[in-house]
Formats: sequence, C-alpha cells, structure tokens
Amino acid sequence: MSARGVVLAGVGGQGVVLASAVLAEAALQSGFEVKQSEVHGMAQRGGAVVSHIRYGDTVASPIVPLATADVLAGFEWAEALRWLPYLAPGGALVVDARRIVPPGACRDHRRWGVPYPPLDPTSIAGRTGAVVLIDATGIAGTLGNVKAANSVVMGAVSRFLDLSDAAWEKAIARFVPPRTVDLNIEAFHAGQQAETLDPADIPELGLDPLPERHYHIDVNEAWCKDCGICPSICPEFCLALDDAHRLVVVDEEACTGCRLCEVLCPDFAIRIVTPVGAQGGAR
Amino acid sequence: MKQSRLIQGNEACALGAVAAGCRFYAGYPITPSSEIAEYMARHLPEEDGVFVQMEDEISSLGAVIGASFAGARAMTATSGPGFSLMQEHIGYAVMAEAPCVIVDVMRAGPSTGRPTSPSQGDVMAARWGTHGDHPAIVLTPASVTEIFELTVRAFELAETLRMPVIVLYDEVLGHTRETVELPPRVEIAGRRTPRVAPTEFRPKEAGPDGVPPLPAFGDGYRFHVTGLTHDERGFPTDEAEVAGRLIRRLHAKVEAHRDDIVEVETLLCDDADIVIFAFGIVARAAKEAVMVARAQGLRVGLLRPRTIWPFPDREVAKITAGASVVLVAEMNLGQVVREVERAVAGNARVEGLFRADGEAIDPEEILQALAPDLEGAAR
Amino acid sequence: MTIVDIRPHLREWAMPHVLCAGCAHGIVGRAFLVATDRAGIDPDRMVVVAGIGCSSRLVGYLDFCTLHATHGRAPAFATGVKLARPELTVAVFSGDGDGLAIGGNHLIHAARRNIDLTVVLFNNEIYGMTGGQVAPTTQRGAIASTTPRGNTEPAFDSVALMIGAGASFVARASASEPFTLERIFTEALTHRGFAFVEVLSDCPTYFGRYNRLGDGPEMLAWLTRQDSRVAEPLAAKRVVDHLPIPEAPPGLDLGVLHREERPVFTGRRSG
Ligand SMILES: Cc1ncc(C[n+]2csc(CCOP(=O)(O)OP(=O)(O)O)c2C)c(N)n1
Ligand code: SF4
Ligand code: SF4
Ligand code: SF4
Ligand SMILES: [Mg+2]
Repeated sequence: MSARGVVLAGVGGQGVVLASAVLAEAALQSGFEVKQSEVHGMAQRGGAVVSHIRYGDTVASPIVPLATADVLAGFEWAEALRWLPYLAPGGALVVDARRIVPPGACRDHRRWGVPYPPLDPTSIAGRTGAVVLIDATGIAGTLGNVKAANSVVMGAVSRFLDLSDAAWEKAIARFVPPRTVDLNIEAFHAGQQAETLDPADIPELGLDPLPERHYHIDVNEAWCKDCGICPSICPEFCLALDDAHRLVVVDEEACTGCRLCEVLCPDFAIRIVTPVGAQGGAR
Repeated sequence: MKQSRLIQGNEACALGAVAAGCRFYAGYPITPSSEIAEYMARHLPEEDGVFVQMEDEISSLGAVIGASFAGARAMTATSGPGFSLMQEHIGYAVMAEAPCVIVDVMRAGPSTGRPTSPSQGDVMAARWGTHGDHPAIVLTPASVTEIFELTVRAFELAETLRMPVIVLYDEVLGHTRETVELPPRVEIAGRRTPRVAPTEFRPKEAGPDGVPPLPAFGDGYRFHVTGLTHDERGFPTDEAEVAGRLIRRLHAKVEAHRDDIVEVETLLCDDADIVIFAFGIVARAAKEAVMVARAQGLRVGLLRPRTIWPFPDREVAKITAGASVVLVAEMNLGQVVREVERAVAGNARVEGLFRADGEAIDPEEILQALAPDLEGAAR
Repeated sequence: MTIVDIRPHLREWAMPHVLCAGCAHGIVGRAFLVATDRAGIDPDRMVVVAGIGCSSRLVGYLDFCTLHATHGRAPAFATGVKLARPELTVAVFSGDGDGLAIGGNHLIHAARRNIDLTVVLFNNEIYGMTGGQVAPTTQRGAIASTTPRGNTEPAFDSVALMIGAGASFVARASASEPFTLERIFTEALTHRGFAFVEVLSDCPTYFGRYNRLGDGPEMLAWLTRQDSRVAEPLAAKRVVDHLPIPEAPPGLDLGVLHREERPVFTGRRSG
C-alpha cells in the first residue's frame, strides 16, 4: 500500500498531539510502518499545533508533502483552512464546527487584523473530495465531557481510513487517561456516525467583547538595546522607536497583553504586567 | 591492610588513583598507557565510580574537568600524541581551577614516533605545552611504588590547590613489574568548600593561600566557570588590572605552596664532586652508576627530583654547591639541562648525557660520560 | 499555560548581556529559561555547559551552575558532569560552528551514547563571535567574510546528522517562534536520553549585513520564512481568507522530528 497521509490541525489544548498518537498507534496495531511528526507552526498565543502522520508498508519521511494528504482534520475551523494546501485533490476535510478566535484576530487589529475566516464551504469548493463538518464539541458535551471532542473528530476521520475499529479502540485505550477510555471510545463511535452539518445551520460567531484589562509595559531601559524588534512586532503599535532611535512606549492603553514583545525581546528587557486588582490578577 | 604483590607501573598508577579516591576516569586508548584505562574500567564500577572511553583525548580531559566540577576526584591518562591533544584542556583546568590528574606515560616522539619505546621528551611539553602564562605541577616517579605514591600525591595537590597535576613517567616504568606493598586506601586532604551562604559566595575569591574554595555543582551554589579571564565573581572581564590579578594569583598559589610541592631525593651528595641529575627511569640507571663509582672510591652522588615542575632550583643550587661537575642525564636531546644550568648558576660545570632514540640510558653510558671527570672525583 | 517570569532565573548583576542589539540568540535563551521553569527543574540542580561563541556566552547570564567550556567541547564537559552526578539536569548551549565544525565529533558521540543531555544548537549560519566567517551551516551562495564571492560548500543538515548518530529526541525550531521554542525545550529537557534541538537563530551584525537581510526585526521575519511548512507565516496569517497554495518552499522542516526510547548511557551498571 502506498503511504497514506493525514494532517491534524488545531490550537494548543485541543488534544491534537494526543489524537495523532492515537492514529499512529492504530496504524501500528494494523501492522503498518508509521511516521509521525508534530509541527509547530507560527504559534502565537493559543499556539497552532499541527501533526503529520504517514503510514503504509514502508514510509520514509514523516512529513506529508503538500497536496498529498488523504485526510485533513481540523479541530478548529481557521486552523483547518490554514493547512488546506496539504490536502490532496479529492481528499477529505473533516472539521469541528467550533471556532476559536485566535488572539491574533482579537480586538482592533490594525496590523495582523485579519477577519476570522467565514464558515463558508464555497471558499473551499473544488479543493476537496468530501467535507465533513461536525459539531464535535457539542457531541462530546452531550456525552459528558467536551474534552472528548478530539475523539469525535477522529471517529469522523476513521471513515476515510482503512483501519479496523479494534485497532482504533486499542489505541484510544492506550493513550487517553484510564478513567476516560469508555467515554472516548463512545465519542469515537459517535464521530463515525455524526451527521454532516450544513454551514447555514451554524450561527455566525460573534466576537465576544474583550474583558477590560490593563497592562503595564515594563521596559528595563538599562537592558534595552533599542534594537527595534518589539516596535516591529507589536500588533497594537504600543511601542515605537523615537527620532533618536530610542525605544518609547507610545500607547500603553492599546496593549492587549499578547506578550509578543516580551518573548521576542532578545535582551530580556520587557515584561508585561497586569496591575494588581485588575481582572486576571498580577502576573 | 597492605597487599604485597608483583604489579606493573601502570597498574600501580590506577591503584594509587583509586586509593586516593578517584571515582571518575575518562580516557582514550594509547600505548603505553592503556593498561591504566583497562584497570580503571575493571575496578572503578566496584567503587561506584565511572569509567568512560571518550572519542579522543581532548574530550577525555574535558569530561574529567566536567566531572571534577560535579565534585568527583577525576583523572585521565595518555601518552605523547594524546598529551598533545590534551594541552587545550590543561590550560582550561589551570584557568578555571579544576582539580584533576593527568598521567603522561612518555613514548618516543615527536608525532607517532615509536609507540612502544620510552623517552623523556615531554618534560617541556608538560611545563609549557599549553599556551599562555600558566603554572604547572609535574611529578616524576622512578619506581612502581613511587608511581603509586605520586599518583596519590597528585590527587592531593590537585584537590587542595585546585589545578591540574601531571604525573610523568615513561614506557619502561609503566611496563615494569615490581613487588610492592600498597595500601588499598590513602586518606588525602581534599578540596576546600565554601563557608559562606550561596548568596555571599564569590567563586574566585581566594583565601590567604591563593586557593578559592570550590563547591560541587548541585550543592546549592550556583556559579559560573569560564576559561575566559575573569574576576572574583568568576565572570569574564576585560579589565587589565583584574586580569593581571588573576594570572598572578594562579602562579602565586603554587609559589606559596612551593616547598610543600617540591620534593627531591639525594643519594650520597654530601661529599660529591660529581652530582648526577636524573629523574624517572634514568635515575635508576644513575643510581647504579653511583654505586659502581662509589665502589671505586669516587665521590659521585645522585640528585633526583620527584617534582620536576616547579623546578627545584633552590634544592639543585644547594645540593650541588660543593660539586665541580653536574651531569644531567635525560632521554631527550637536552630539555632539563638548561634548567639545571640556570639553577647551578655557574658554580659547577654542567654536562649533558642525552639519548633520543627510544632506548633507555644504561649505567654504563653514564659511567662513560663521567669518565673524563672521574679523576677529580677520586678521593 | 502559566506565564513564567524569567528574571529570577537571570544573573541580573551581570546584565545587560554582551550580545549585539537585535541578535536573536537572546530570544532562545529566554525560551530556555521558561522551559526549565515549566519542566520544574530545581535551579540548584541545573547545569548548563557551553562552548565558545556568541551563543555560548549566553550561559553566563543564566542563574544555574554554568560551565563555559572550550570551543566545540561542551558535550564532553557535559558528559563528565552528568556521569559524575546523574541527578543533575545537564544542558549544552552550542553555536553552529562550535557544535558542527570543531565540536562535531563530540556531538556525534554524545548522541551515539544517548547520554541524558539536552543540546541546544544555535544556528545562525555564521561564525558570529569571530566576525562573520563561513560556517558549516552557511547556505550555498551566502556571503561571509571568508566567502566574499559566495559560499560554494554545501551546508550541514544537523537534524539528519543527529538522527543518524543516534540522538533519541531531535527537533528543529526557530527563534522567531518563541512559544514553540518554549514547548520544544520543555519536552527536550524532560526527555530521558540525548535530546538535540537545532534553533534557527540569526546574526544581524554579520550575516545580516553581508547578505543584506537587514537588522534584528527584518532578520526575525526572514527566519520565519525558513519554515518549510509556512512559506511566509506572517503574510499567510493576513491572507488566510484567500488561501494561496504556497509553492513548496525550499526551507527546513521544523518541529519535533524524531523521538524514540533507547537505553540511556549512565556509565554505571544499573542503567
Ligand atoms: C580552538 C579554538 N579555535 C578557534 C576559536 C575562535 N572562535 C571563537 S568563537 C568561534 C566561532 C563561533 O561561531 P559559532 O559557534 O557559530 O557561534 P556564534 O558566535 O555564531 O553564536 C571561533 C572560531 C576558539 N575560541 N578556539
Ligand atoms: S503585549 Fe507587547 S506586543 Fe502585545 S500588545 Fe502589548 S505591547 Fe504590544
Ligand atoms: S526588543 Fe527589547 S531590546 Fe529591542 S527595542 Fe524592544 S525592549 Fe529594547
Ligand atoms: S556578532 Fe552576530 S551572533 Fe554575535 S552577538 Fe552579534 S549579532 Fe549575535
Ligand atoms: Mg554561529
């Protein structure tokens, strides 16, 4: 059998890594050679996580080449769309209808201000063989724990792969927390049967107003070398270099606390501080 | 309990190390020192110690230094070509003040030379092989028992003075078997650890004897170690004054303990008109020559350094004060002879007997070399 | 994930550090500190050994036991530390010249032994500290002070090298993705066995200047384009709604690229 490729994409905390471990194990159980690699894309906060799994009689590279994946599973809508180029023409797109608005799309994004992609299958028309849009999170919730949403998604994925139910169940039992094995197996089967939603039935996602928070941008001037990195990456233009090429905080009010400046400052010179008393507490 | 056994020089070296508490050995095979590694590989695990065969001699000494900072008494052994590779880290151990012992079983060089033949061609390499101004402590045993003793001694000096100490002997001694009585354990003074709290600790602040205390990694003192010139906090500096202070202290701590470090042995030197200066295996031949000469009523004595670096200038000056000739016999083309000339400072004529063909100097050769002067040495 | 304040892990008295303005090495150092905190490592029991180079200089600012060794030999020193005192967590900071040229052999053998170390290789494709000479990782065609007409030698693929040598955890990450770095470092530090993380870093002062790649900010953006999966991530983020299929980029695979369980070398009988 020539190698099969599956790409799983989501954001941190959704269990993408776990789901890929389960798939890899199920393929192993079925006697295939398996290669799996987690890929860390441009993870800003809420970090995108993507995992490539390839299996077959022999598999050399763990990386699914562009436009060859048999299945692309998105645990989140925007992430699924982002990795679409990996799907083979005619491949299956399985996606949880849940939408998690990444911080990069929050508030008033003057620089990376991308509108959250519309839930519109026409934007992907012609690029896929099958689109399975399911309410995985909702289904998992009904079963008792939204955390099992990843198993629901994998159930839907299993429709397009030639691995036995027994192999899947064994793999699930091996990787999920012992007390949740039954729940996850149930969720998996629910995913196999889940009905495909019509995007029209899913309510548009309104952006929640951000909670009021104020951040203090604490710059250690003795350490800052005015390198210009933080002004160049701050999505809210809170920071700038002045005419003398010195770093200045120009708009602390606009700071969303994304901490990009803090983690990208090579000189440990910035700290984002949530003042005591403000929602979220001090750092 | 002492054990009386027939053992080889290299084995005595390993036994001495274990007896002194060595619990880490890293090395790379090379004739004629490999037996030390083989012995350590067999016996260190029994002492809960670690043996590791590294990828070369550079990394061997690197690992030894790492283990030393982790608190272990650590050693490596090698010969000529490997000793050349170790020079980089000998300098590092001096600068970072890492206690460690390096054994060089000398073979005929330069380069690959004659791997199975003895020489004393590394005396200057042991002193000046690594770059920069640095002190050196090099011990030169002349018997199997003394290899044991001086290996133990090397650990004590290394640990108490926080620096590398080299044990230097040659292929013949390394492979000589002698009956010896060796204690399984020898108590030695160890490194001094800090008395102050971690927050007060300044890793390169020395006490009056010039030696800074040294905690082990993992003992609660978080400190920096570097081969860059550094200040008392152990942190790199470019200040000339601080740099000068460090380099001078590294020398001064050896100078301050010089009389303890330097050991010489004399044989019939009191009335000697001719003093033979020889170390290591050559001193054995010289001893025999002295006995032969004495039997003929000739006033010949032997001065044998157990420590070759720091050079025993004062001892040489004093012991040769009444002599008219000093014969320096060494298995190279004349390395130590210049040091002796310097120490004798014109008070006696200094002659050399050199051999660098990979063969040991024998007593007959020494007597022949003395022949022109023996008349004056007659009673 | 909790936010880690790294200042308590810095030797503040030694700051600011010596690296150039905008040099990404510091970003990597910061992510490493976060990871040691997340991995729950007691700072008293953390040892970081470094070679020689700009990247290696960073260890002086980390408030652990730090051993700034010799050029290329850090894995050997670290081997000694770990074998002598196995309860310590030992990591190595090394530059691309440090780890792959002069120290290549030590790196290979440490990986082969699968000794429990975490090696961070800062790849900026150049010898920064000595003024911008060509490195074994410099891409073909790039300008360095010793390849004024462009480098004609092929570059090392350190990930392939390390997998071949037997490292049991091999990853590649980029200084431009600090959150990912934090995560990979945490995994590497908690992996039992030899963990190797190549980090794509930069050198605005030499590599950037010689190759007209701009200063710190521009070079960070350039770094994001090295990822084989995302031709131009910042741009991709902006154009996600019309989804161009990226050309297969010439870049490098990023992420945890290899992981296996293999007996760990401890130098002792009871592994
Ligand atoms: C034995 C030895 N040879 C050469 C040098 C000089 N040297 C210092 S750092 C360095 C290269 C550093 O490059 P890299 O490891 O890539 O680190 P970077 O500065 O780029 O971070 C060299 C050649 C040295 N210190 N020691
Ligand atoms: S945390 Fe930093 S980068 Fe983010 S908005 Fe605030 S100032 Fe800008
Ligand atoms: S990134 Fe850091 S060093 Fe650079 S300008 Fe901002 S605060 Fe200063
Ligand atoms: S020379 Fe290059 S690598 Fe070194 S600190 Fe400067 S920018 Fe960084
Ligand atoms: Mg470099």
